[in-house]
Amino acid sequence: MIEAHDSPIVRSAGKLLIPLIQLFALYVLFFGQYGPGGGFAGGVILGTSFLLAILVLGPQAPPCRLAHQLEHGDGVGLMIFVGVGGLCLIGGGEFLNYSNLQLPSLDDAARRSLGIVLTQIGVAADIAVTALSIVFSLGRQNSQEASHE
Amino acid sequence: MRDHLPVILFLLPFATAICLPMVGLKAHRWCRPLALVSLLVMFGLAIVNLLLVREHGEQSYGLAGWLPGSDPTLGIEWVNDHLASAMLVAISFLASLCLLYSGSLTPTIGKHRVVPYYTLILLLISALTGIVFAGDIFNVFVFLEVAALSAYALVALAGGRALIAAFRYLILGTLGSTFYLLGVVFFYATTGTLNMAEMYQQFIASPELLHSRAIVGGMTFLFLGLGIKMALFPLHAWLPGAYTRAPDAISPLLAGLMTKVALYGCVRILFWGLAAGKLLEPVPALTLLGGLGMLAALAGSLLALAQQELKRMFAYGGISHIGLILIGVSQTNQTAFAGSMFYLMNDAIMQAGLFFIAGAAILHHGVRTVTDLPRLRQSPWLVAAFIALALSMIGIPPTGGFFGKWHIILGALEAENYLAITAIVVSTLLTMAYFQRLFLRIFGHSEVVPDSAEGSLALPVKLAVGLTAMLVVVLGLCSGPLIGFFRLTASAAGL
Repeated sequence: MIEAHDSPIVRSAGKLLIPLIQLFALYVLFFGQYGPGGGFAGGVILGTSFLLAILVLGPQAPPCRLAHQLEHGDGVGLMIFVGVGGLCLIGGGEFLNYSNLQLPSLDDAARRSLGIVLTQIGVAADIAVTALSIVFSLGRQNSQEASHE
Repeated sequence: MRDHLPVILFLLPFATAICLPMVGLKAHRWCRPLALVSLLVMFGLAIVNLLLVREHGEQSYGLAGWLPGSDPTLGIEWVNDHLASAMLVAISFLASLCLLYSGSLTPTIGKHRVVPYYTLILLLISALTGIVFAGDIFNVFVFLEVAALSAYALVALAGGRALIAAFRYLILGTLGSTFYLLGVVFFYATTGTLNMAEMYQQFIASPELLHSRAIVGGMTFLFLGLGIKMALFPLHAWLPGAYTRAPDAISPLLAGLMTKVALYGCVRILFWGLAAGKLLEPVPALTLLGGLGMLAALAGSLLALAQQELKRMFAYGGISHIGLILIGVSQTNQTAFAGSMFYLMNDAIMQAGLFFIAGAAILHHGVRTVTDLPRLRQSPWLVAAFIALALSMIGIPPTGGFFGKWHIILGALEAENYLAITAIVVSTLLTMAYFQRLFLRIFGHSEVVPDSAEGSLALPVKLAVGLTAMLVVVLGLCSGPLIGFFRLTASAAGL
């Protein structure tokens, strides 16, 4: 069973750290175009920031309620991914061939760059939600066992 | 449009699968129609695809525009040829039939599991589509894993004792995937490519590469992994339990498709990657697979004879047929190859049909074991379909099973492999023996215990059972042109 941490030091440190972790997650996500990083790593970091919030602030705090709602949007990230790929298909190119994204006033390089960022955002959203739902399902298992005993 | 048909065929079930959880949140009675419509559209497109491939020939699709043919091939290539398109028609047809059939059985799954149920089925189908199209060995691994993960969860959906079977399937299936991946690593280290067509060129250019230790080791791991996935005889331990305990609407889908698609992957790698049709070097591997096939054909039917539970018996029947198809593939001539591919399609339909019947028998008449069988007399529809499917399983003329087996035997005669012929004949006799045991129960002198029948069969169940039974006969009657079609795939394989 997940409960709020009882030490005020941990809670205030958590409140300080969580936004920083989320900022770092966004950095990793967008830096993925130029160096190591990208949607997968960024998504995991984003997911863990929510997990930290839940562990430190408890299940009644806003982050946890938000996370529970996010859990239902399991497919949104994948939808973004497939949607971008599908737009390329509609544009007349192969699946995920970003140069066929039908956007006016953008040259080829800009289209490819935008396409990759969009798909990476989709991947990050999906990974973050997956990390949350794994932890939630484990938590549920524990609380069920506890209620049986 | 034609250029993008492979990826559209994949995206159709995939996109529906990721939409379903959100649709299910508001109204889960919409899940089934949505899934069914997407699979029916997929079936239609698969037929269009088959016709187009027949007309225009093979097509290769580079995902994201990374053209195959650049050297070295960096992109992901999908190959849409005769064999793949035929396989896809079978997959989408059986999947839509299973979904149709599952409608009347969903109460046994439970309301809160409806959404994951349909999502997982669609994910499974899109993963199988991926395996069928994959042009490189690593993509086969990725989609094998997606298909297997969906299958574990689908088996476990029944709850109770199914959880143990699903866990066993999970452990063994993961072992299989790991072995397969290890094999891929060896191949990549030696040839520097994952693309099957490129590997093929390298092996043709320097056949002695196939004798190198890395490739021999890689092949061992690769086929060990695939052997677990296709439940080749000594590696079959996961299959009977998983198929018996899975929800009644899931067993037909898994029995009809999972092992067959793994076998298809094996054939793909052997003939399109290792050039087994052109070179003599892979022959030892083929001989070994053929030998294991003989063992599987005999052991599978022998074990089926010893079973009490109907679903378990049919599962062992499926294991013996995997062996039979492998015997045909390993003869390295056109006749046997065409026969075994024809038999593969037939077997998918026969297995699905038998598990449809087993599921309906459990639901409507409470028939689980051989001793309950007399109760099936109340349902002539089921028994009639059962007779047609049994004739095909044994291999009696007007059915598809006969013509497949016949061509495998002809091919084995051509290769002068009399041991294989003996194995096929003995396995046929054993198959006859276990079906005779069932029919003696159904028609023999025994009291009919009335009456646990819960009304008459629902229309979708009748349709699914009737269509599969009719189809094995129709396939048999059209066997001439179909075998001709599969001969084309054999010549594409280099035979």
